[in-house]
Amino acid sequence: MSAVLHAHPESGPTLGIEAGKRRPVLSEAGQRGRWWRFAAILIITGIVLVPIMVTVLLAVTPGPNSTATGLTLENLSNVFSKTLAATWLKNSLVTTLSTVVVSVAVAAPAGYVLSRGRSKAVSGYSLLLFVMQSLPIITSVVPLFILFAGMGLVDNLLGLTIIYVGSTMTVATWMMAAYFDSIPISLEEASWIDGCSVFGSFTKVVLRNSLPGVLSTAIFAFLLAWNDYLVAIVFLRSNEIFTLPMGVQSFFQQNATDWTSVMALAVVMMLPPVIVFATLNKYFSVGGIGGSLAGR
Amino acid sequence: MSSTTAQSGLSRARRGVAPGGSGTGAGKRKSKLSAQTTRTFFWLLLPSVVLLVLIHGYPLIYAAVQATHDGNLLQTGNFVGGENFATVLTSPAFWKAAQFTLWFTIVGVFGSWLVGLGLALLLRTRIPGAGTFKVLLLLPWVVPIVVSSTAWNWLVATPDSLIPSLFRNLGMGTPLFLADPNLASITVMVFKVWVSFPFMMMMISAALASVDTTVYEAASMDGASRWQQFTQITLPLIARSTYISWILMTIFCVNDFPTIYLLTGGGPVNATTSLVVLAYRTVFQDFATGPGVAIAFLMTMTLVVISVILYRQIRKSSVE
Repeated sequence: MSAVLHAHPESGPTLGIEAGKRRPVLSEAGQRGRWWRFAAILIITGIVLVPIMVTVLLAVTPGPNSTATGLTLENLSNVFSKTLAATWLKNSLVTTLSTVVVSVAVAAPAGYVLSRGRSKAVSGYSLLLFVMQSLPIITSVVPLFILFAGMGLVDNLLGLTIIYVGSTMTVATWMMAAYFDSIPISLEEASWIDGCSVFGSFTKVVLRNSLPGVLSTAIFAFLLAWNDYLVAIVFLRSNEIFTLPMGVQSFFQQNATDWTSVMALAVVMMLPPVIVFATLNKYFSVGGIGGSLAGR
Repeated sequence: MSSTTAQSGLSRARRGVAPGGSGTGAGKRKSKLSAQTTRTFFWLLLPSVVLLVLIHGYPLIYAAVQATHDGNLLQTGNFVGGENFATVLTSPAFWKAAQFTLWFTIVGVFGSWLVGLGLALLLRTRIPGAGTFKVLLLLPWVVPIVVSSTAWNWLVATPDSLIPSLFRNLGMGTPLFLADPNLASITVMVFKVWVSFPFMMMMISAALASVDTTVYEAASMDGASRWQQFTQITLPLIARSTYISWILMTIFCVNDFPTIYLLTGGGPVNATTSLVVLAYRTVFQDFATGPGVAIAFLMTMTLVVISVILYRQIRKSSVE
């Protein structure tokens, strides 16, 4: 398996700790450079994060009609009491979580076949998945719109979920396959000797040892579904079916944008991915996405 | 590489595991086992195949039908052959959008690569709190585009926004970032680089993490300069990962809709209309389904070529 997927940057080799100890003179110069680099990265990070800091700051700043002073959570409560924010949040959560569960449920078994099977059909399918994931979603959105309109799936969260599952499953399958590649077949062989079936060894041995791979795939599906805008703008029509991206955008249709409310909702929308990322950051390797492609 | 080991396949592994695997008995056992394996594989793959056909296969075929017919979103209309493609290929709007997409992609790919590479190299050296910075610097990629485009809008959209005011106070005039065609193009590209550099940083960091640092010590003993070490050691070592991330980022940039649409809507005067935005507007605002799908189809062709090349390269390099 490629180093790209498994080598976490944090665990990477650090340059010359021992070397520094052996050469104290260089180490002193190194120390100075170290603080310069610290200052540089501090400034760069500060500049890079300006848009995010602005969002948070505005969200807790009293709005134009507010009597509050200092920082306040008023905007947040206003957004939930005066708009459909709660409904949008629920819609986003339902759609995203269904997408995550179904994507993993479809991609894990398929990834197992891609990893273990070695026929022409399997490698052909692998190429097909790879090509499909790179195609512009706008191509399939128009025909799907017509198909779904006939089935009552336009302006419908189920319709949205189906498309999200469809668009995540290609990369998700590759990611799972790349992870399964790293699980030695000898583990399965042991279970076959004990009389386990292929399916049994897949669920009991391979899947059970694949939590990091499953998590990384789930995070990928989560981000894609939570952040999507293109499918939502095409398929969602009514206010109460909106997901959060559409909800945030709907604020801009009014004449004067109430920035504090927009930002309050924006913070609501950005919290779940940031929390997921902060807690599961170990599994969240962008390398997981790139690496799954790179490793095969 | 172990992916090649795993490619030995389950059926072969099972063959090897059959107890006392010699003679005709083992042969019979093998065929029985692989039949069972094939059956299991079929069922494991089935849901994925059904979805692929429904969500990707069917729409692609139907898109081909729409691209060769007149009509609208509700009716397919009559067969018109290559007329839609001719309409698209002779319209200045298409070529303008193609040109913008090209620039957007070039700046997006190399801009985010350079920033990502710089930061990955900086973070690789020993810096207090490097892990924290790495996490913070990934935020632009993690935060939803709808949120970040909103924030960018607040920062640059009107003459009284924060950044134009800053320019004015510095006596540099009041740049209209989203109202001037050239400035709007640049703003969208900078925004794209801001969104994408964390991806590059992660890809490069992961590649660098697997590099054996003793190589550098040996090189510096031999008197190689920092720059020589960078071009002679670092770049070749991350070449494969770089190549893959370039092509992936190309695909991301060409397909990108929200980054552009949310910030400028394709304006002003179509200056930031990319092919995806043009296809979207042609279908859903002008209701010209045929030409719109034809644009999407032309993009599809290009991307199929790019991804098949990438797939071949990945295959080749994983055999090495």
